[in-house]
Amino acid sequence: MSFELMLALSPVLIVVLGGAALMLVEAMSTKKPDVDESASSEIALGTAMTLLAGAVAALGVWFYGPENLPSAAALAPYFVLDRFTLFFTFVLCFGGALAALLAGGYLPEHRLDRGEFYPLLTFSVVGAIALAAAADLLSLFVALETMSLGVYCLTGFRRGSTRSTEAAVKYFLLGSFAAALTVYGVALIYGATGHTDLAGIKSVIRAFSANAGDPAVSSRLAVLIVGMVLVIAGLGFKISAVPFHMWTPDAYEGAPTPATSFMAVSVKAAAFAMLLRVLIGGFSDPASMSWSAGWPPVLAAFAVLTMTVANVVAGRQESVKRMLAYSSIAHAGYLLVGVVATVRSSADGQGSVLFYLLTYTFSTAGAFGALVLCGSRGKEAVTFEDLAGIGKRHPAAAAVFSLFLLSLAGVPPTAGFFGKLYVVKAALGSELYVLTIVLLLNSVIAAYYYLRVLVYMYMKEPMAGAPIAVPMKSGYVAAALVLAAMAIIGIGLLPGSSLEMAIKAALS
Amino acid sequence: MAAYVPLLILFLVGAIIVGAMFTLTSILGPKNPTEEKMMPFECGSDSTGTKHVKLSVKFYMTAILFVVLDVEVVLLYPWVVTFRETGWHGLMLMAPFMALLVVGLLYEWKKGAMEWER
Amino acid sequence: MFAIGAVGFLLRRNLLVLLMSIELMLNAVNLTLVAFNRVHPHNHAGQIFAFFIIVVAAAEAAIGLAIVLSFFRVRKTVRSDDADLLRNWP
Repeated sequence: MSFELMLALSPVLIVVLGGAALMLVEAMSTKKPDVDESASSEIALGTAMTLLAGAVAALGVWFYGPENLPSAAALAPYFVLDRFTLFFTFVLCFGGALAALLAGGYLPEHRLDRGEFYPLLTFSVVGAIALAAAADLLSLFVALETMSLGVYCLTGFRRGSTRSTEAAVKYFLLGSFAAALTVYGVALIYGATGHTDLAGIKSVIRAFSANAGDPAVSSRLAVLIVGMVLVIAGLGFKISAVPFHMWTPDAYEGAPTPATSFMAVSVKAAAFAMLLRVLIGGFSDPASMSWSAGWPPVLAAFAVLTMTVANVVAGRQESVKRMLAYSSIAHAGYLLVGVVATVRSSADGQGSVLFYLLTYTFSTAGAFGALVLCGSRGKEAVTFEDLAGIGKRHPAAAAVFSLFLLSLAGVPPTAGFFGKLYVVKAALGSELYVLTIVLLLNSVIAAYYYLRVLVYMYMKEPMAGAPIAVPMKSGYVAAALVLAAMAIIGIGLLPGSSLEMAIKAALS
Repeated sequence: MAAYVPLLILFLVGAIIVGAMFTLTSILGPKNPTEEKMMPFECGSDSTGTKHVKLSVKFYMTAILFVVLDVEVVLLYPWVVTFRETGWHGLMLMAPFMALLVVGLLYEWKKGAMEWER
Repeated sequence: MFAIGAVGFLLRRNLLVLLMSIELMLNAVNLTLVAFNRVHPHNHAGQIFAFFIIVVAAAEAAIGLAIVLSFFRVRKTVRSDDADLLRNWP
């Protein structure tokens, strides 16, 4: 392994080796979880540091330029090291680090202080990075499972709780069902084209559409289309687009909140990376990109359904966590608009999706983090009522929560606004007027339930005798929130450079 | 598509034969269930206990650990078969994989997952 | 075989049977891949893919069993219909 290759892979190597080392340290440590106070907090800090180091390494390789590291091409197509991968490595590592910091506060507070959380988290991040980097269906599948298996365990982490185990069971069963569908689709695609690498698949599809009349080609084309439908269904499950979203609220609500934050942020970002890779890398020939016979109408329908259903249902939730779960589904809908916009101009569409994911990562991780902050043991913030009057009692907690919610709603000075703006711009550039209108209408609906939290926090008084949420005290959670808030305000004030990076990261 | 017609016929005939056998035996066969016959058969002796035997969780633990490490061997077979061709290069590629497995094993050990008596 | 697995997954109500259905589906994928590899003999991508699926399926089964086990410990049931706590939550 040459030095150049080491440098190129440094983000992944740091995360893998750091994760493995921390795992051993945790296993060797003599602290007993039930005796010592916060036995695993060093591991939490170490994990967050490892993941942040991975993110920094990704930035380093970005500025060094992946094109200056030709020996990394030896790993293609199983692990493609391009700007797309690096961008996602940064986002995923950051999302994972925020989740680790949140866990550092949340787990001891709720007597879940078991160190297994962190290796699972770290290796899920590794899987997610590999997923963003995979341009071959084989490594894509393995990476998908690496990521998912870790997250299934994180969901069921609160072993004594009926809700948590139930969420894990549901998520696991539906998740592996979807994975089985995907991989069957992959098998059919392989059968039709003879390739598992996306570039090869693309060239074969090109050849198919060149001589479409041939009966041998048309039977293969039928197999290919069935495979493609199965793969898109599986991907739709992972991004929780609406016909396949049933697991999302249950899994998000049942999981411990840091795990929810990780699922909503990194897993979703990785799933979108996979979607873009597959669609742009494998199915971007004119035939499968056409509105009459390809994937754009399917994804556009998903987008409309996802946005509308999720927003309408989110408005009717009583649990804030479940509301945030539905809101993350709705955001998947907005992102799908950006994906559909790649049809006309690939760079703009992808750039908008990537930039949106960046802003969404910080806003959502922050919102879940603020929810963690607002509840201490036995006094968790679950429903809107629990948050009543918290603006007066704990102004700092309420202020950061408001910031993240405003960013999710897309109010101007925050990062979320620019995320939405560029998706809308990309959609208008591709003349997707209907989708744009649906998106804007939905943003208005969404603003209702985000503002509802603010109303409860600042304008309502808790009912007499009702249980009130008391914020916890934790340096880790505070650190995570400060990081996310700084990122949101930073991107909100200076969106230019990160947007430029997002567009540069687009796949050609 | 015409090439698949024989296959389709084969499937149909198979399904019909199986279905016919099941229905015919259930219609034609004589039935006089007695207490003796309805009892679960266990090597001639009367069965004891319920059908749900409580297995200790440690069996599951061991089984789960066994399955995972057992199946990793599948990935070693291709390496073994091509060992002469791949040589040192193959060894260098497999080393990290084995190292990761060892790390996993160490973790298991230290966590006490393999302690039978706990 | 894939259809049997899928139908089993959708109709059966025992979590362990659901787990087995998923394994059945993955095995069907393996068979499909190996069979297609005969159509495309220029490389062994299909067979290699099958190897990887075997390994991943084992890992998945282990995790799945562990999750179902923890569900059983808490709830004393393996019927998926009984997993309805979250839906009743408003």
